[in-house]
Amino acid sequence: MTDEVKEVRDGEVVPAPASQGNIEKSNHIRSLIWGAVVAVIIAVFLPAPLFASNLSFLFYMMLWLTMAMSFNFVAGMAGYMPFGYVAFYGVGAYAMGVLYKTFGMPIPIALAGSAAAGILVGLLVAPTLRLKGVYFGIVSLALAMAMKLVISLMPRDITGGSLGLILSSANDPLAAYYAMFLVMMGALAAGTWLSMSRLGTALRAIRDDSEAAEVVGVNVVATRLKAWIMATMFPALVGGVEAWYTNAIDLDSSFNLLVTAKSIVYAMAGGLGFLVGPIVGASALYGIDQLIWRNFPTLNLLILGVVIIALMLLLPRGIVGAFAQRFSRFRRFIP
Amino acid sequence: MNELLLQGLVNGIVVGLIYALIGVSLNVIFGVLRVVNFAHGEFIVLGAYAAYFAQAWLGLSPLLAMPLVFVIFGAMGYGLYFVLVQRLSRSNDPEHASLLVMFGLSLVLGALMLLAFEADARSLNFTLDPPFLMFGNIILPTTKLLGLVVAILVTGALAFFLYRTMPGKALRAIIMNRDAIQIVGVDLNRLSALTFGLGLGLAGITGILVSMIFPSFSPFIGQDYTLIGFIVIVLGGLGHPIGAVAGGILFGLAEQTAMVFFSGTVAMLLGFVLLIAVILLRPAGLFGVQNSR
Amino acid sequence: MLKVDQLVKKFGGMTALGGVSLTLPDQSILGLLGMNGSGKTTMLNCINGLYEATSGEITLDGVSLIGKSPHAVFSEGVGRTFQVPRVFHQMSLLENLSVALLNKGLSNAEVAEISAHWLNKVELYRLRHNYAEELSGGQQKLLELARIMVANPKLVLLDEPFAGVNPGLALLLIRIIREMPKEVGCSVLLVSHDLTSVYELSDNILVMHEGKVLAEGSAEVIQSNPDVIEAYLGA
Repeated sequence: MTDEVKEVRDGEVVPAPASQGNIEKSNHIRSLIWGAVVAVIIAVFLPAPLFASNLSFLFYMMLWLTMAMSFNFVAGMAGYMPFGYVAFYGVGAYAMGVLYKTFGMPIPIALAGSAAAGILVGLLVAPTLRLKGVYFGIVSLALAMAMKLVISLMPRDITGGSLGLILSSANDPLAAYYAMFLVMMGALAAGTWLSMSRLGTALRAIRDDSEAAEVVGVNVVATRLKAWIMATMFPALVGGVEAWYTNAIDLDSSFNLLVTAKSIVYAMAGGLGFLVGPIVGASALYGIDQLIWRNFPTLNLLILGVVIIALMLLLPRGIVGAFAQRFSRFRRFIP
Repeated sequence: MNELLLQGLVNGIVVGLIYALIGVSLNVIFGVLRVVNFAHGEFIVLGAYAAYFAQAWLGLSPLLAMPLVFVIFGAMGYGLYFVLVQRLSRSNDPEHASLLVMFGLSLVLGALMLLAFEADARSLNFTLDPPFLMFGNIILPTTKLLGLVVAILVTGALAFFLYRTMPGKALRAIIMNRDAIQIVGVDLNRLSALTFGLGLGLAGITGILVSMIFPSFSPFIGQDYTLIGFIVIVLGGLGHPIGAVAGGILFGLAEQTAMVFFSGTVAMLLGFVLLIAVILLRPAGLFGVQNSR
Repeated sequence: MLKVDQLVKKFGGMTALGGVSLTLPDQSILGLLGMNGSGKTTMLNCINGLYEATSGEITLDGVSLIGKSPHAVFSEGVGRTFQVPRVFHQMSLLENLSVALLNKGLSNAEVAEISAHWLNKVELYRLRHNYAEELSGGQQKLLELARIMVANPKLVLLDEPFAGVNPGLALLLIRIIREMPKEVGCSVLLVSHDLTSVYELSDNILVMHEGKVLAEGSAEVIQSNPDVIEAYLGA
């Protein structure tokens, strides 16, 4: 059949399609690269507490890697920009705190409660998924603020009011570190599955043109909902584990818009839509961010703002995206 | 009780008109440029500081500072358009790109104001004689009343500009249909820059009104105003100039009457509930054209 | 066989389709002519579920398509292209085609083989790993066509397939469309401004005017119909 076909175009002889051979090969290389990336991440973070003096640096690096990766699930793959992403983080932190402190549950159950709370809030706001473009982003931001207000109105003896909750009896930074490691591995696994699976293909099609995707048989609503649920679970877990690590929860830090901002910046700096994008972005920028934070604490916000503007104007597709655009031959090898 | 409610309603209209002004300028910018100005609140706060320093250094009353601020902010917007906004139209997804760039700008402006003016809340030392007017049992500070009059005048002038003058009509034509630009035959870049200037000029004036009507301002509160502006325009319909006026007054009334009966937090929450209700019932806003294509 | 019966579509007070009926037998090509605003694209949008018809019935092989969402209509075997091609810009050509095969229960190898076959047919195989955004407008139209053909549709709706396509690619497109009914066994509803290609390709032609059917018949019948000449061709 098609194997004998040779087409001649612009005087160049194009070999007959070797059916799946080439595709399988590029898939294989892509998987290998991704596997290597994951291996490096494990090799860095798993044994690190044995050597590193600064556990906090590595803990927060994992935190931002996870946040940026899961932001990529909705922004890079489903084409949504949830500016209120911090809501899930905050709800997760509070679920953990309330379950542990107020109701005396063990930490693993409290953390499961974080994930459940994130998913629940995600389902509650699911009707806003039908909003398009910036509308969705704006409404999501408003919902995050509303969530913060709702928690502030809850009885003081449950959520601790404006003082927040102190979980001093839970103090175990090393355990919290490995909990964050597990959450990060979960996000890596989810990302792997998303990008290799047909769900991932459907999502990227929706991101590029949702109506065209619908017209070629993709159930847009159902597909988006799946990605949305995955993307809401991880920040809630991250928020819960961070609360465990710091032993303190308060409204202003749990619902700080900067959490959204940094997730976006890290994910975009690497390149939305690529599995490795958020990893590259978070690794590159987190170190810089820490340096700035340590040396010029007052300039931190200013510099973050300048970085966002510069990224959007100069490198709108991020580091990986720019590479893929420049060297399109290698694009199929980028996970 | 009834007087309290009435007082709340009056406050609601005053505050609502300020919100309307925020919404209208956001909407004009969005409608023409497809730029979501996340930094709008920071420009408003900057306007409030401008009024403060105009008074402290130049001895200018806020009313006299208004035209000056409008021109300076307008020029700033005109320039910023060419620096930041123009290249966004080449992006893959200009709306989201603009949202992010303006978010970055909002962080930068907030941080700069913090560095320049420090974190303390400031208030404008501006009173009129007599300081209060009494209507029955309703107390109205004269500064608020003046703010109300100015807000009405500015909104009226803007409406006149948009609906009765040629450049205004051209702007509205573009808001309704971007292809119209070819028919109207104007230089899109110049018009966009002027629109951005107009939007920021209005933000400056809004800032002065804020400094007159609200008790205080500080570098941090910009995002609150941006958020309110967003709620207002989503209520009224994204890109719909007059819808924003209705959205602003509606939100102001809801917030201020709720403040009478409950706390400020509940009042704010009510605003969000209103927003969610409108979105679920009419996703394109109260006045927005429902998706027809 | 596609049957459209008394299809009405209103937007507010405006009637876009005022009771249109048509029949499209299997393996044939029906050309749909008409000026801008005559309701051609609205008709396609109603058939594939992007618009909800105000009243009337649409059936494909006896199955009603009314009230089905676009992805469900696609599963019934209806593919369509757009006037301005709508490809998935940041996906490779192969991935573009694979989207249409997601729910067909095929193995990866089968997907690859079918995709390669159709990319070869539209002469885009050598660009298979490029992003779709790197294609010219005409090539995007070819890709869009291949994207629905991989799914082996029963009915193909083509909206202005020749608009903005350079003459060389247009010839290729005409050749492919002409072969489609026999090769794939589908029928084609062809909306176009391009009279020559519609006359050349269509087994039957329908002329629409202001949301109604003005004339129906073979190319010769249409060309000599006085109403058509007055309302459409003469102007």
